[in-house]
Amino acid sequence: MNIFDTGRVCVKLAGRDAGKRCVIVECLDSQFVLVDGETRRRKVNVKHLEPLEEVLDIKPGISHEQLHAVFEKRGWNVWDTKPKNAAARPQQKRKVAVKDTSKSKEKKATKLKGKEVEASAKNEESPALAALEKPKKIKAKKEE
Amino acid sequence: MPTGQFRSRTLRRVFVKAPGGNVKIQYKERKPKRSPCGVCGTQLAGVPRERVPKMMAMPKSSKRPERPYGGVLCSSCMRTAMQRKARGAQ
Repeated sequence: MNIFDTGRVCVKLAGRDAGKRCVIVECLDSQFVLVDGETRRRKVNVKHLEPLEEVLDIKPGISHEQLHAVFEKRGWNVWDTKPKNAAARPQQKRKVAVKDTSKSKEKKATKLKGKEVEASAKNEESPALAALEKPKKIKAKKEE
Repeated sequence: MPTGQFRSRTLRRVFVKAPGGNVKIQYKERKPKRSPCGVCGTQLAGVPRERVPKMMAMPKSSKRPERPYGGVLCSSCMRTAMQRKARGAQ
């Protein structure tokens, strides 16, 4: 019987996961195994593992979520990737001045009229003339 | 003859070719020794030999290997340490 069989608890010896507990999820080869747990889920050379006495009762090829539950029961840490979506940024809101409803309505009306004049001018004459006419009318409204 | 302060060998000499073709000597500070492993004393890989200001400007991940005891123990000594730790815990 191979020591490095599915369910064997090991400690990783090499790399940035060194000293962390993991479980063999799948035997790929006489030399390589798939490992998951406190380390990242990855293919690992057997040379980089130190087997422990414990053997977990696990199906070969168990998913990370299922293994997560098994590890949590025992109070062991589990490697979890950080969520990819970043936190929502605080959005800047436009400063809105205190509205006088009556004034705003007037302004809208003037704008609309101005547009109409422009459109008509475009149809009939050159746009330069319309541009000349437009500010005059607005001024007149303001005086009223 | 160089001036008095440059006659000692505290500063290292760097020969630089000037645009005119003549060789000039630049005097620069010496680099520190290679940092050794805390157990076996071999020179550590992945730890740059730079002076303090240059090291301070570097990101942390480029100053030492990203494993436990990185920049303190060599990889083989770290492995044996981890093995001992795992066997002791049983």
